[in-house]
Amino acid sequence: MLNELLLRFAEWMDTHAWSTALHESYYMYSWVESTHVLTLALFFGMLVVIDLRMLGWAFTSVPASTISRRLETPMMIGFAIMVVSGLMLVYAVPVRTINSIWFRMKMVLFVAAGINALLFRNKMKAAVDSWDNDPIPPKRMRTGAGASLALWSCVVASGRLMAYDWYDCHQNMSYLMYWVAGCVHEMAEFE
Amino acid sequence: MDVFAFFQWLDTSWLASISKAYGGVFAVVQIFHLLAMLMLGGMVLAGDLRLLGVLLKDVPSEVVIENTQKWFNVALVVLLLSGIFMSSAVAIKLYYNSFFWAKMASLAFGIFFVYTIRRPLLRYDHSTINPWTLRLIAVASMTTWFVVAASGRWIGFS
Repeated sequence: MLNELLLRFAEWMDTHAWSTALHESYYMYSWVESTHVLTLALFFGMLVVIDLRMLGWAFTSVPASTISRRLETPMMIGFAIMVVSGLMLVYAVPVRTINSIWFRMKMVLFVAAGINALLFRNKMKAAVDSWDNDPIPPKRMRTGAGASLALWSCVVASGRLMAYDWYDCHQNMSYLMYWVAGCVHEMAEFE
Repeated sequence: MDVFAFFQWLDTSWLASISKAYGGVFAVVQIFHLLAMLMLGGMVLAGDLRLLGVLLKDVPSEVVIENTQKWFNVALVVLLLSGIFMSSAVAIKLYYNSFFWAKMASLAFGIFFVYTIRRPLLRYDHSTINPWTLRLIAVASMTTWFVVAASGRWIGFS
């Protein structure tokens, strides 16, 4: 049901002239994709600096809250541009993207990383006074920072793997794999 | 020195036999290459934007540079090793790609700039350095690494 709705939505986007124009424009598509990757450096780069501080591996002489507060704004600017350019990339190639296992994995990891970031931020705000100047933050903070780095790295990795067609709908796969990828037409052939 | 001979050798090396035969290995190495590039970009931005007085203004710039340089070094090593492996898969194609040479030229300049100008200069107390020199170093550094990353991305489009 959800797969069918998603595919219908993707096919609807695919009928838009702007979607085709963006996909077929050599320079525009390449610039949007380059912007997506380069702003990722701003977002992910700032995130790495914050998480390394929370792990006690960098900036140990600087209060953790200072690093986090000061880098939050550029990180969120990078995040906003990354999301907008990412949406444009989905709009340019909607059907293949919606039917990509890697894209689906990326979205699940993206939500998980977002939830972890919210929990991590709340935990930090609630107890930062007690360990702000400690070179090595408490274990629960280090765990949150490690999870943050791992989850966002997996988001980047699954985004990179979208370029490969190993599990695209045209490949010969099991029913389960077709279901995970949302290959509605291929699933129908099994029935 | 015959550069093409080096690319021919790389194309038939044991590294190429792995990178060409195992798509999964190539993809994993490519992911590490991208993650290292992002980490390097983050360290460059944090350090250079501090020198420009945009970020972390209440943290001494010496502290920011010292901390970001360490992780910059780690990222650069991963970037170079993964880059050599990836190049082996398409060595001959890269030899004829102008964006690849743009990336190599900017990368060579970037490494030269960091280890012979930026790093030795920034070892001194920053208050003794002309603020315009610091700003110039920051802008030159960000521009160079932006060109490295952008031309690297463009290899895939050309």
